[in-house]
Amino acid sequence: MNQRLRLPSWNVLGLLPAQLIMLLTLIIPVGIIILVSFSTRGPYGGFDYVFTTAPYKQILFNEGWSGELEFNPQYLIVVARTVILSLATTIICLALSFPVAYFISLQKTSAKMLLIYLVTLPFWVSMIVRVYSWIIILGNDGVIAKALRALGITNNIGSLLFTDTAMLIGLVYSYIPLMILPVFASIEKLDPALVEASHDLYGSRLTTLRRVILPLCRPGMVAGAILVFVPCLGAVLEPVLLGGGKTMMMGNLIQLQFGAARNWPLGAAISIVLMCAVMIFLLWRGIHAMRKEGRENGA
Amino acid sequence: MSVKIRLSMLAAASAFSLLTSLPAWAEGSLSIYAWADSIAPEAVAKFEKETGIKVTVDAFSSNEDLLTKLQAGSSGYDIVTPSQHFVKIMIDSGLLEDIGASSMPAFQQILPEWQKQWWDPTGNYSVPLAYGNAGFTVNRNLYKGPVDSWKVYFEPSEELKGKIASLAQADEVIPAAQNYLGIPYCSEDPKEMKRVLDLLQAQKPFVAAYSSDNIENRIGGGEVAMHFWWDGNTMRVRRNDKANVEYAMPKEGLVGWLDSYAVPKGAANLDNAKKFIDFMAKEENATIEYNYYGHSSPVKVDASKALYNKENAPELFPTVPVKMGQACSPAAQELVTKVWTQLLQ
Repeated sequence: MNQRLRLPSWNVLGLLPAQLIMLLTLIIPVGIIILVSFSTRGPYGGFDYVFTTAPYKQILFNEGWSGELEFNPQYLIVVARTVILSLATTIICLALSFPVAYFISLQKTSAKMLLIYLVTLPFWVSMIVRVYSWIIILGNDGVIAKALRALGITNNIGSLLFTDTAMLIGLVYSYIPLMILPVFASIEKLDPALVEASHDLYGSRLTTLRRVILPLCRPGMVAGAILVFVPCLGAVLEPVLLGGGKTMMMGNLIQLQFGAARNWPLGAAISIVLMCAVMIFLLWRGIHAMRKEGRENGA
Repeated sequence: MSVKIRLSMLAAASAFSLLTSLPAWAEGSLSIYAWADSIAPEAVAKFEKETGIKVTVDAFSSNEDLLTKLQAGSSGYDIVTPSQHFVKIMIDSGLLEDIGASSMPAFQQILPEWQKQWWDPTGNYSVPLAYGNAGFTVNRNLYKGPVDSWKVYFEPSEELKGKIASLAQADEVIPAAQNYLGIPYCSEDPKEMKRVLDLLQAQKPFVAAYSSDNIENRIGGGEVAMHFWWDGNTMRVRRNDKANVEYAMPKEGLVGWLDSYAVPKGAANLDNAKKFIDFMAKEENATIEYNYYGHSSPVKVDASKALYNKENAPELFPTVPVKMGQACSPAAQELVTKVWTQLLQ
């Protein structure tokens, strides 16, 4: 009992400004979204504070064309597509980042600095401009189409832009720097002596990569995977600009609900579901990492 | 250089006034939220010179964006330019200011057929700015066939696979499909709306993109052969960019729209907004606006200075019925959304 009454120590008070910012800019807005997701929709958008769980039910059940309430997977299809595309993006980013990061880490310090600077360069340009540039590259009169035509390979590649492939290219391009940086950081920390030791013990190149380098770079790869996967789930621009708006990802679905559909509570409910999915994923990762650490320490 | 500095000061000043909305700053400013490239910069400059009021113009690209922004509260804008059905929705939801427009000088300039229409029966909330219609445009280098029916757009022939583009907004596309199928706008009958969905789903394999940006390049440059589009925009790209395009006149009917000036509830610069609306409705300024925007004018213009007529701009003078878009009931809107979600799921 006594312990509870003790005044907070100074270092807790010192964190107060940061906590205040978190409260005002993160926790309260999320609270509002949760509130909206349990409200009744207004006739022309907006919402009324009348409690209902209808928005959550609507995610799974909808009136069919015959007017009866039935299970409707339309939103689940969008969710599944989002997860699959995000996973694919993460895997491609990982596969491309590792050699790039490894190559950079082998350079002289000055070259290393320059290359890392180049990797971060896209961050200085607006996301819209970066995605838009792919329209110009992939379009009918784009660089790729022109090159292929000039080489006489094919005349009919008008199908590059506005495809799922274009969407995936855009996603990988947008988020790959977020993967390269943490992977590079963990490769930098790799002790070359360990690689040498592996070779001394007659480990082949492949074995060295598999048993020494990759396990030691795991934390960087996991961090990169989270940094790529999570924002991918909320991607809005790539499906619209590169996918031609033909299929939706969750970001577009949420936008549709707040915009044309005038169903804010449903949009809020989908946002909450998306957020919960991300949190469960991160929690699972966290627990997994903690258990592993515990095992290693215990052994 | 001096221009640059003035512009940046203007931007800073307007940003500041938006943030603080101090009355002292609000005195001489006006912020407009309008369709992209819809307000003639020449007219705005003239207004600034005559009145000393600093004007900022921001752009939106769909009625829904505008509605959502106003519903979210204090948008900071003094004038917005919604289309007719959204004027009705905004009046009904109490988002617009009653500016007594019917007793303003601007009202006398409005052509009789556009006064006190169903979306603003008292005529007190809005003053029309431009009208036109939605249909489809073909690139004549790529498509030589007839354009007298929505059939060629919604049920295209095999060679048009991947050569058709649509818009990203259900509100634009679905009424056109309803015209083709002979279904009333805002139908609340699920069976009828299922037919709309079937039609759009059958069309989807032919559609390269559902996109409302960059349309000029896509249709003018020949990325696609057919594009859902508007009359005046087609006319401008044909006249200004010499693109070989033609605006279709489908016998089933085009989808009409009319955009109006209106003032959001609680606007900081109400008097300046009214001044601007009156200014833009004056015959000479309306003519500047007409020549710039290239959509038909619902207010009187000076015929001797107007650039467009039946001969050089046939797009603006439709020869087929034009049916104005309606404000749908929540039940009908639900069906529209259902069609669109299932189309793009």
